[in-house]
Amino acid sequence: MVFTTVANFVRSRGPDEFWRKRKILKLAAHYIGRRRNCYSIAIKNVHRALVYATKHRQLRKENMRQLHETRIIAGCEQHGISYKNFTNGLMKSNVLLNRKSLADLAAWEPFTFKALTDIARQKCVEDGVNIDLSPQKSVDVITKGMLK
Amino acid sequence: MSALKRVQQWATFARIWHIYDATWQNPFESAALLKKYLMGLHKPIYHPLADCGDHVVVINCSEIALPGDEWKKRVYFHHTGYPGGASWTLAWELHKKNPTLILKKAIYHNMRGNLQRRYTMERLHLFPNESVPDEVMKNISNQIRQIRPVPKRLDHYTEDEVKEFPKLIDYPKDYIIR
Repeated sequence: MVFTTVANFVRSRGPDEFWRKRKILKLAAHYIGRRRNCYSIAIKNVHRALVYATKHRQLRKENMRQLHETRIIAGCEQHGISYKNFTNGLMKSNVLLNRKSLADLAAWEPFTFKALTDIARQKCVEDGVNIDLSPQKSVDVITKGMLK
Repeated sequence: MSALKRVQQWATFARIWHIYDATWQNPFESAALLKKYLMGLHKPIYHPLADCGDHVVVINCSEIALPGDEWKKRVYFHHTGYPGGASWTLAWELHKKNPTLILKKAIYHNMRGNLQRRYTMERLHLFPNESVPDEVMKNISNQIRQIRPVPKRLDHYTEDEVKEFPKLIDYPKDYIIR
């Protein structure tokens, strides 16, 4: 089932039936039961697997994005700011980090993430966004507007 | 400091025990809140395959408040599997039989149906009143804020407080108070 040499793999490209089937069976090598040994069953499963792989290339991106958002929301809640205000505030402050980087910061660099939430909160306060300041945490962020 | 010590993170995956008072709280709104703590959605390290959920102890489950006329209108369905085995129970009936079941079902149905759900539910501890066993109570280190403020009922005020409350009007003498 395994192509031990490159020469064997190159031979499998031709019209030779044995090697054509061998190529499919190689993709089915890790399956269970007859679907790894019988070509007619293996080809069905390999086709299905390839379809899954195609579909999930997109789904994987969506799932990862969802996970990143979940993590950012968790980080935002710890510092008492909503996800919407957080992303809005960062966007207005010209902090153009994507979700992946923000999620990584939330998980691995909590102090950096806290600084980002402070920036976003300060921007929201300056722009008059209706933001809940109930925790009243000390915001030590200096923006251009405050320096005037 | 060695390289291994530098990246050591004490108790990152330790389970925290939260307590939540369900007095006068909507169980369906509370379910969405408690779900987050049970599944670990409130931690930035959350991953669906990581076992990072916390324990939640809910007290005063019998004091929950359903919105509107849901006590009479909400129906819980059960089927034994045998023909004619269907039964419908109203919320107030269910609450009478088991005062923790409405909240439990609300949380259970708030989570997606997967293999993890039943294990996540194991981390939920529901108590109908304030009496919690000591071996549970000694673990608790955090309180979850209630969604709604609990108003003080009129019959819980003392007579003096009611009397001393500033009066706006005096009733006319011929006014009949029923």
